[in-house]
Amino acid sequence: MQASRARLFKEYKEVQREKTADPDIQLVCDDSNIFKWTALVKGPSETPYDGGVFQLAFSVPEQYPLQPPQVRFLTKIFHPNVHFKTGEICLDILKNAWSPAWTLQSVCRAIIALMAHPEADSPLNCDSGNLLRSGDIRGYQSMARMYTRLAAMPKKG
Amino acid sequence: MVSDSIANVSIPVASSNPRDFGKKKRANRAAKLKQCKLDARREQWLSQGKNKGSKQELNGGGEACEQGMQVTNEKGQLMEKLAIKPRGEAEENGGYTNTYSDFDSPSNSPTSHTSSVLEGNYSGTNFTGGSSSSSSSSSGGCYSVSMSEEDNEGDDDCLDDWEAVADALAATDKEQEQHNSSLDSPPEVHMSFQLEVSDGKVPAMDTSQQNPKGRGTIPGFPVSFRAWRPDDEFRPQSLPNLSKQYTFPMNSERHYRGGSVWGCKSAAIPTSCPICCEDLDFTDTSFLPCPCGFRLCLFCHKKILEEDGRCPACRKQYKHDTVGGETTKDAGGLMFQVARSCSMISRS
Repeated sequence: MQASRARLFKEYKEVQREKTADPDIQLVCDDSNIFKWTALVKGPSETPYDGGVFQLAFSVPEQYPLQPPQVRFLTKIFHPNVHFKTGEICLDILKNAWSPAWTLQSVCRAIIALMAHPEADSPLNCDSGNLLRSGDIRGYQSMARMYTRLAAMPKKG
Repeated sequence: MVSDSIANVSIPVASSNPRDFGKKKRANRAAKLKQCKLDARREQWLSQGKNKGSKQELNGGGEACEQGMQVTNEKGQLMEKLAIKPRGEAEENGGYTNTYSDFDSPSNSPTSHTSSVLEGNYSGTNFTGGSSSSSSSSSGGCYSVSMSEEDNEGDDDCLDDWEAVADALAATDKEQEQHNSSLDSPPEVHMSFQLEVSDGKVPAMDTSQQNPKGRGTIPGFPVSFRAWRPDDEFRPQSLPNLSKQYTFPMNSERHYRGGSVWGCKSAAIPTSCPICCEDLDFTDTSFLPCPCGFRLCLFCHKKILEEDGRCPACRKQYKHDTVGGETTKDAGGLMFQVARSCSMISRS
């Protein structure tokens, strides 16, 4: 428990120091609980998520970094590996492929990479996965684009 | 370069941080407010992203510099240590000109033959006991001339030790060389001078010192030409501890023998465990559980062994023989042999 706190505190300082290091990621620690984090990630360019900002909620276990943090999308996203209702993410490094050498920042990067490269063979969002698996790239992209506009972009006016 | 990057970085950080903190405090912990804050932040961020693309690039550049700085933090410290050295060298050179200008006058004087011997002793006391001699204005400006004369004299009839020192002094223009030798040679130099002093020729020198004829200027620099001994009370505070300096090359040599990317990284950041962020002690730094070179503290290693037992960096299972290497962790060299043999095995 002490180790996780020390580690998270170091990551917090790291994030404060290189706030602008990765322009696509903003990691914010909860004011009162260092085990709760929020991240804002920009949708990668040349994907249907381009231009959107997606909010992630981190829940860090006491055994961190030996156990992976729990991450879910708070912003609605149409993606084969993200549960459409709960925002749960199907990503190997958040499950069995986790390594203690990873940080919250690197998890954010991995999620951005997942947005750019959806894995349709292990879908949490069956509609999205089916569109991709049936080869309807255009259908997937337009749906994802629509939800990005609806949920992940600032409202106009 | 380092100060530049600091300047670059400190500007955006200083400008952005207080604002965000202030915002944080004002926005209380109620969830609604927080959400509002995040939304505002998102919109602000988006609008900023449109407007200040170039600025962000600038910041990114600065951060990159800073990152590099942080990674080479340890190296930087070493560089600082090295950078201090030449400064000491410069001071030494200062003393150097002083003594040479001092040598100049007697060598021009008619009694040069006898005085040269005396000078050997005189300078000897100047190095060791000469710290007590009061500093005085040195007649500089005759550096190059006196140097050649001094060399001649050294060839003539000075003591062997003095010749050696003179040779060493003639090489001072190559600062790096001198720095290296200054690490090695000081004990001998000190010894020789102490011997000379104990010869009992010091009083004669003292009388010549009081002789007002050519000896108006006494080089008062209280330190030897070479490095200071660690226990020397005249050793400047700014110089790093010798023990530290000696331990660092040892470590770096080890890391290089580790010979992998992670080994190099941990050579740059060997101070804390990447998993738990606790400081690594000597046992931990000499502990190399995986041939990939990823270092961690024994505590975290044990906890990982209790779970899946895979290296955090390369995800390979920790092998039993490397765990056996754990028992030889005290003998660093031995452990590295183990680690290297493991890497050989994994390659083949």
